[in-house]
Order: sequence, then C-alpha cells, then structure tokens
Amino acid sequence: MTTETRLFYKLEPGAKLPGDWFAGRIPLNVVAGEGTVIDSSFCFKHFYSAREAGLRVGRHTTIWRASLAADEGAVIEIGDYCYIANASLVCSERIRIGSRVLVAGGVTIADSDFHPLAPAARLADTVALSPVGDRKRRPAVETRPVVIEDDVWIGYNATILKGVTVGAGALVAPGALVVRDVPPGAEVAGNPAVVVSQ
Amino acid sequence: MSENIPTELVSNGGARRLEYDWYPGCIPANVRLGEHVYIDTSYGFAPFHSEHDTGLALGDASGAYDRTTFVVGPRGRIDVGAYTVLNGAYLVCNGRIEIGDHCLLAWGSVLTDTWPADAGSLPVALRREVLRAAAHEPTRSLPVFAEPRAVVLEDNVWVGFDAVILPGVRLGRGSVVGCKTIVAADVPPYAVVVGSPARVVRYLEADDTEEARARALREYAR
Repeated sequence: MTTETRLFYKLEPGAKLPGDWFAGRIPLNVVAGEGTVIDSSFCFKHFYSAREAGLRVGRHTTIWRASLAADEGAVIEIGDYCYIANASLVCSERIRIGSRVLVAGGVTIADSDFHPLAPAARLADTVALSPVGDRKRRPAVETRPVVIEDDVWIGYNATILKGVTVGAGALVAPGALVVRDVPPGAEVAGNPAVVVSQ
Repeated sequence: MSENIPTELVSNGGARRLEYDWYPGCIPANVRLGEHVYIDTSYGFAPFHSEHDTGLALGDASGAYDRTTFVVGPRGRIDVGAYTVLNGAYLVCNGRIEIGDHCLLAWGSVLTDTWPADAGSLPVALRREVLRAAAHEPTRSLPVFAEPRAVVLEDNVWVGFDAVILPGVRLGRGSVVGCKTIVAADVPPYAVVVGSPARVVRYLEADDTEEARARALREYAR
C-alpha cells in the first residue's frame, strides 16, 4: 500500500530529510556508501559521537527505525548489504558489524554496561547523571568492543553484550542473550546463549 | 471504518489519515476496521505491504496502541479478534497470523510466521541472496526467506513483554506467555509458559466461560 510518506532516504551527512517526521538532521560525522538508506533522522536521537567518522556504513545497507546511540568517543561501523531493522545499537567505544548482517526487530547490541558495577562508583554515577551533576565527570564504566562478523543473522529480541565477537556465518536465535563469543557458523540460543548447533 | 476514529480520506485509493496522528502516514485501504476500533498512529503501518483485499482485519473494540507494527508482505494476512489489545507488539507476517478475541499482547512482543527453524535451513548463500534482493527493492522489504507457517492465538491469550512467538505456533485458549519467553512449540489451553525454551509451569482454571464473558460485557462496557 502506498502512503504519502517516503519510507527511505539516502544516508547523507548533514542532510535534512524532506518529509521526515522527526525534526532532526543526519550528523555531519557520518560516512556512508552508495545505496545506503535510512528512514528518519530519529535514528540519531542519541548519537553524540564527536569522532571524525562516528558512524561509517558501507554500500547498499538498510537502516530502519534503529537507535544508533553513541557516546562522544564512540565509533559504529557497519558493512555492505546489511539490514538493521528496529534495533538498538548502544555504543560507548566501538561496535563493528561486518557485511551482509541482518539485525532483526527488537535486538540490542551494547558495548558497555552503562554504569559501574561497584556500589560506591555506581552511587557516584547517579549523582553525576542527576540534574545537578556534571555528566562530563562520570566514574569510569567498563567498555569492550563488540564485533559481528560477515553473514551473521541475529533474530528478534536477541541481545549481544559487551566484548562479544559473533563469528562469521553464525545464527543468533530469537531472544538469545549472548555474553560469550560465538564460533563461526554456530547457532546459539537461550539465556545465557549456548551453542545449539555447529 | 470505525465510527469512533476521527479520520479523513486521502486521495490515494481509500487510505485513511488519522486526524490526531503525529506520523505523516495512512491506514492502508485494505485494513478493515470493526466497530469502535482505536489506532494510536499509522507509524506501525509503514511496512504493511499486503496485497490481499483485506490484509489486516481489526475486530470490534480492539486497539493497536503505541508502536504496534505490522510488517506484512504481499501475501500476508492478519486477523485480530474483538476486544484484543495490541500494546506495542511487532507482527511479522508473510502468510497468516490469527489472533482471537480478548487477547493481550505487551510491548516488544514479536509474532512471526517467517523465521528459519535452524541455521541449517538458512545457509549463508541464501542469506546473501535475501539481503541483496532487499537492497535493490524500492520498499527495502525482505523477500520471504523461509516458508511461512501460520501463527494462531486462540481467544483470551496473554503474551508478556519482549516474548517471541515463532512460526507454526498455536497458543491455546486462555494461555499465558511470560515476559521474554521464546515459544517454538504449541502451548496447551490455559497453560502458563516461561523461559527460553518455553516450558509449562502451571495450568490455570478454565473459568472464562460464555457466562463470564457476558457478565464482563454487562459490567465493564460503557
């Protein structure tokens, strides 16, 4: 069915997308290849990367209703022919997604725990994050890059946490919570995710 | 069209615009609405591409709230029963999804009739073909990469938040799926299932009789 709205726009740094329902812009520090599209600038609502290329995307990739949340020092890399639909990428340091990767609806990929684990540091973080706090001086939070290699498919509502490498050609079953590396070609499922077939 | 939703017809073939909608989209012409249906926004209809005469039917007094999304391919068709609440659910359909009366679907829950049974049924060569095809399609829809198998929710089913109901599954009348549960096999009537993979933890009393329904309509409807 046709509607008046456009579903996709070319991903172009600095662009204001005509007819976008969200009054934002594509950030300037985005690099994208030919044929790569996005549905709305809303995907960048939580994108604060100050890196020269905070988001680098290859060719012919589709980004639809994804949240590309990036801290100041974060770099998100996405390859060619990827399909990122209705997913959240939460990046403090680095999330690297290879080529021909499908990320299905409801997926979260995060490279940090968002807050410190130790109670005193966590308490301090609530102060730093509060309306009277200084967000520039938060206690250190552990981050470890996430790598999703080529030809991986990630099912609905799966979660990939910090430090994980998902090997080439692996399949992450819907709802899996992945906290350890996934060997190439393996299928993982469950919480915590375990290998169910090689 | 439901009597209660303020809409205006737009020129493109009977698609309707919700007057209060924050999203600049439409409810497609082949979405059939029963009496007193409520839809928050057309946001969730952007990926609706059904070519059936009725690609989605929303039953009397049912509601599609918040970011409830209908990812429906050309051959997909969804029926939703009366008084059913879709509260931020994500429905992926290339064949058939049937949802009964009085169901509750919470936020982040996914119903899909199209997902491979295992990695073996989705070889890397096929994955590459699927993504290449999607990238060169104007609507960027994924082609149907697994044989759709119908998902059926009988009456009075409750699906908790972030749960996933996989292809071919039938949820029996009165059953409850706990939050974040992954359901790959049929659930018997009145069973409560939790976990990944899902397991039955108890059975509920089947007290949702026709009399109980009549009483509810008498006492709780305006």
